[in-house]
Amino acid sequence: MTARRPAHKPAGWPSVKRRTRMARPSEGSPTVFLVLRRMRAPLIVLILIFAISVFGLTLIPGRDAAGQPMRMGFFDAFYFMSYTATTIGYGEIPHPFTGAQRLWVTATIYLTVIGWAYAIGSLLTLIRDRAFREALARRRFTATVKRLREPFLLVVGYGQTGQLLGHALDALGRRMVVIDNMPEHIDTLDIDLYYSDIPGLVADAANPHTLGVAGLEHPACEGVVALTDNDEVNLTVAMTAALIRPGLPVIARTVSPAIEHRMHAFGSPTVVNPFDRYGDHLRLALHAPSAYLMMSWLVREEGAEMPVPGRPPASGRWVVCGFGRFGHKLTEDLRADGHEVTVIDLHPDPEHGLTLIEGDAVEPSVLAEADLRTASGFVAGTDNDATNLSLVAAARKTNPSLFIGARQNRPANAPLFAAMEIDWLLVPAEMAAREIYARLSTPMLWHFLQQMPELGEDWAAETLDRMRAHCGSHLGALWKVTLSEHEAPSLQPWLHAGILLGDLMRSPHERDRRLDAVPLMLKRDGETVLGPADDVMLEAGDQLLLVGRTWSRRALLDTMSNRVVAEYVLSGRDVPAGWLWQRVSRRIPTEVSGGDSPGRSSDDR
Amino acid sequence: MSLEKVIFGFFVLLAATLNLGFFIGDISNPALHNEYELFAAVVVNLIATVLKFGDRTQIGAVHLATSLVADLQLIAATLVWVYATQISEAGMTAEATASVVSLSGGALLANLVSVALLVIETTTFHRR
Repeated sequence: MTARRPAHKPAGWPSVKRRTRMARPSEGSPTVFLVLRRMRAPLIVLILIFAISVFGLTLIPGRDAAGQPMRMGFFDAFYFMSYTATTIGYGEIPHPFTGAQRLWVTATIYLTVIGWAYAIGSLLTLIRDRAFREALARRRFTATVKRLREPFLLVVGYGQTGQLLGHALDALGRRMVVIDNMPEHIDTLDIDLYYSDIPGLVADAANPHTLGVAGLEHPACEGVVALTDNDEVNLTVAMTAALIRPGLPVIARTVSPAIEHRMHAFGSPTVVNPFDRYGDHLRLALHAPSAYLMMSWLVREEGAEMPVPGRPPASGRWVVCGFGRFGHKLTEDLRADGHEVTVIDLHPDPEHGLTLIEGDAVEPSVLAEADLRTASGFVAGTDNDATNLSLVAAARKTNPSLFIGARQNRPANAPLFAAMEIDWLLVPAEMAAREIYARLSTPMLWHFLQQMPELGEDWAAETLDRMRAHCGSHLGALWKVTLSEHEAPSLQPWLHAGILLGDLMRSPHERDRRLDAVPLMLKRDGETVLGPADDVMLEAGDQLLLVGRTWSRRALLDTMSNRVVAEYVLSGRDVPAGWLWQRVSRRIPTEVSGGDSPGRSSDDR
Repeated sequence: MSLEKVIFGFFVLLAATLNLGFFIGDISNPALHNEYELFAAVVVNLIATVLKFGDRTQIGAVHLATSLVADLQLIAATLVWVYATQISEAGMTAEATASVVSLSGGALLANLVSVALLVIETTTFHRR
């Protein structure tokens, strides 16, 4: 399935960056036509009944007040039928009816009532009709998306992961448009509490036109996130986005390495594989518990409590139950670290260097074969929560000191897994949502998290201590500043000589105090410095990633945008805010001037 | 042969023929223009209009437009007739008859366009 390309385009891949327009299917017809088409039969019946009744009334002989024979005119007949058929009933006009007329009118009354009932009934059925409601919903959705002016993310798939991510992004004030093929998932948009109105559509995302309707071609669309349970659909979404809007950021979730490989063939999507991450994190926790702790804290939302440092994973022999996609990834990671791994699965594929046990792990005899008494770690990684829970219970019974890992598939089972006190729990939906959130909320944070483990455990522990000292046990704001003309105008006079990071971090209230913020990363011309120290010289154009309290963020903004504040923070000089007073007191803030030193005017004091 | 097409063609054509029947004759002579014929023309025109509802093709849209024009003209003619026979003191004078008939003449033109469209559609889409 590919996006339709206009026929006049030459075949092959044009090397220039182009945008392909999607031809919209003829869904532009207004809903009123659907109503009209459905109402054809009832309306014709109604017209016929009226025509016959009126016609009959004009034919049947009547009598006027004087007893002279006369016939009803068309106008009188139509008037009479109109109020009779609608059951208003003004009586017999213009003259009392004769027997023959009454006989005819009796028949027409029943006829017209049936006609109206049929017409109104059809209209009501139509309003309740599924197809009609879908057409209405689609129309409303299309109009809402078209009206969006703020940048928005196109989220495809709104299951567990989507909803977790949706709530987090909504709290950040990001706009979204949601597509899902399950009506229940779209209904949560109405039921759950969101700050903004999120347009949602029940539709098949594998159809490129659906993405077009959802605003893939909208200029304000800033990215596509594919989170459906179906890897094929995610692949199609990533492909469609890459073909229709080349260069648009795409984040796709998959648990299959093959699909991941295919996704990379189209543009450069960011692929998130929660199964892969679990093993990576486990290894990180094995080598550097503090680094892992910092990472799992930073990917949470603002205000999140510091995660409790869990039991460090044990070194030694590991037993993994379930050798599916998750099991494969995990054993790969464990073996890369030099751990011996025993795998239990119903139908394991033989693999060199692995101890394989064939059988159902739930059976005590099979589990006994794995000899849990000598193992140090145990992972219940099947796709069935009940199985995983019972496996954990059985393993604990055999060897209470085991390090237990488990995979939780359904969110409803969270309390059960919590009660089991699993040492290392994988919730694929949560893991994917956290990672995507970290990537979307502060892209710099993601670079930081990727590079941070290389600095080792000691550095991580020290940074974590600093974070705790400044933010307390709740995660503060994470933000990025760019020392550009636009974002930091008041620092410009100082920047060409360089500013010490330690000076910038001084508080505008009392410069001997430090802001409650920790600089995590410095980015300059594509090169990064992790955890920059206070003696680092900042230059124009540098980007800083900081974590700290909200008031520090405001204070830093003050320093960066107010010349007087910057003067105080950087040099300690108090300068009047107004132009006149600056002249009168001859205390003029440092100007932007090529060769002069920043402190030129300080002798005016 | 589809029954739908038969019914559709029947009503479109009948609307035009009834309209012509009413229209033909000395424009100011009430004796030559039967009110029953006008009534039948209005009813058949309305049915023809409803039959054209909901066709999303270009030709379907023009079809509907011509029918709506014919309806408008015929209903205007009926209103003039009602005014002449029920409200005006003078009754069906030559002037009133002339305006009723000329309005129906406008409807006749619209109906002829409708018939022309029907013929065009038949010759163009003969395979369907």
